[in-house]
Amino acid sequence: MRNNNLRIKIGKMVLKNPVIVSSGTFGFGEEFEDFFDLNQLGAVVSKGISLKPMVGNPPPRIFETEGGLINSIGLQNPGLQEFIRNKLPYYRRLKTHLIVNIFGNTQTEYIELAKRLEGVRGISGLEMNISCPNIKKGGIVFGSDPRMAFHLIRKVRKATTSTLIVKLSPNVTDIASIAKSVEEGGADAVSLVNTFKAMAINIHSKKPEVGNIIGGLSGPAIKPIALRMVWEAHQAIKIPIIGMGGIMKAEDAIEFILAGASAIQMGTANLINPRAAIETIQGIKKYLVQNKIDRIQTLIGAFG
Amino acid sequence: MPSSSGRTSKRFMPFQIDGTVVQNRQIKSVYFILGIHCPPIANLIQPGQFIMLKISEDHSPLLRRPFSVYKTYPENHPAKEKRGCLFICYKEVGKGTHKMTTLQKGKILNLIGPLGNGFTPPPLPSSANIILIGGGVGIVSVYPFAEAFNHLKLFVFIGGKTKKDILCVEDFKKLNSKIFVSTENGSLGFRGTVVDLFLSQRKIFTEDKKYYLYACGPMPMLKALAGKIKSRNFIAQASLEARMGCGFGACWGCVIKTNHSQTPYQRVCKEGPVFSFKDICWD
Repeated sequence: MRNNNLRIKIGKMVLKNPVIVSSGTFGFGEEFEDFFDLNQLGAVVSKGISLKPMVGNPPPRIFETEGGLINSIGLQNPGLQEFIRNKLPYYRRLKTHLIVNIFGNTQTEYIELAKRLEGVRGISGLEMNISCPNIKKGGIVFGSDPRMAFHLIRKVRKATTSTLIVKLSPNVTDIASIAKSVEEGGADAVSLVNTFKAMAINIHSKKPEVGNIIGGLSGPAIKPIALRMVWEAHQAIKIPIIGMGGIMKAEDAIEFILAGASAIQMGTANLINPRAAIETIQGIKKYLVQNKIDRIQTLIGAFG
Repeated sequence: MPSSSGRTSKRFMPFQIDGTVVQNRQIKSVYFILGIHCPPIANLIQPGQFIMLKISEDHSPLLRRPFSVYKTYPENHPAKEKRGCLFICYKEVGKGTHKMTTLQKGKILNLIGPLGNGFTPPPLPSSANIILIGGGVGIVSVYPFAEAFNHLKLFVFIGGKTKKDILCVEDFKKLNSKIFVSTENGSLGFRGTVVDLFLSQRKIFTEDKKYYLYACGPMPMLKALAGKIKSRNFIAQASLEARMGCGFGACWGCVIKTNHSQTPYQRVCKEGPVFSFKDICWD
């Protein structure tokens, strides 16, 4: 097998394979170095970074449901300055792409994050989390309003020359129209889906199972819905899609690629099996060999 | 990030590795002992550290479960049949632990460990007085520490809801320890909580001596205890129980509020599970 048949291009980034580890489930990378060689990954996405440090939500922050995990971590992070000073040096030593996940409460915050990360050595791309409420617009989520999303992306696009990926929320009526406006705004790629808004109640204490009442559901339970949304987005846009949502193994990853994803992200799986991403890369290679497929690109959207 | 208590404990690289079930037996009511042959972890794990265990290959339960280790036998242990084995004591409480009760001898399980920071022993050389307090299955977490410091004088307080919830008494009897037992319904020993029991014996612990206190149990128990051991002659550590996502610091799902100024929410799995009582925000 040739070495480059897993290669995938996302914006300016050429990934050695389509397997990326997703934000918030892979710490700052170093938590995984005892388990496998991180250089084998297609790319790593950092934990979400905001301009100022965030302390996060009160516990309990996680709750397991049937085949799923509800989390309300609350985007706890050390802030941009501390990230650049103390977390980035580790990533710089890796021979894989770093995508920095960013989020803000206002347009200005997103733009400033992009500007301050512009030209910083060791960063290949930005992934914008637009699932945060816009405080100025009365708490409407950026990612649920196509026009707001368009204007936000257009402004951030002007502030960065890095590969710009926009992470879409599944908590919308029409994922295709959001994906379209993000594409028109100038994004290089979209990643979807983020977690589904969810909750659970303890019937004995009559209290919510996570401190914040509402959290985000991830894991195998959401996979069929995420897959459907990737396919819908694939039919609507031309820029690459990074698919995610309950991918636990190579078979799941291939399903997303067939639905139209150029690359995939693994999240919850990393928590359960820290080697999940690396096993998925091996599994995809095996699938290509067994099915005599020369290049992974030929699989993208190739179903039906 | 440094531990909130500023401790520097020796760090062993965690392994992700398979182990083989050597024993799975009910000891009383809803309590079971699971023995796993897994030399790399058995050789290295320290008192208060824990493992993350994948109970089933499918998604039910989805996440691993954390277990502190009850007894370990490194590969050079004299008892040949136990060499390279570790034992955990678990309580059947839900679907996951119910599934655990069905694990048969010979079954292969995937483990991650050793994880977390264990108990910090008293400074050496020491003739310190040691107090161990365990609520319910929590006593299992402090037992390995007692075994390691058997040469010191141990005061052990074991509490549970009923006599069916009192564990490890026979183990402690073999050590150089003075044992006190309480049950909330009075079916064994003192009637009340383990904290009430400790207070009832408070006069033993004089202010002119230093006491190293190690506790593990449910949060309400630890909180009640925190209010009673504020005097300076108690140097107290608690091993915390928390729902965990990963167990190795990646998800920030298991945090506890501490008095750390910049990062109040610290990870039970990484900075803990053992914290100094004074570092935890008990309000």
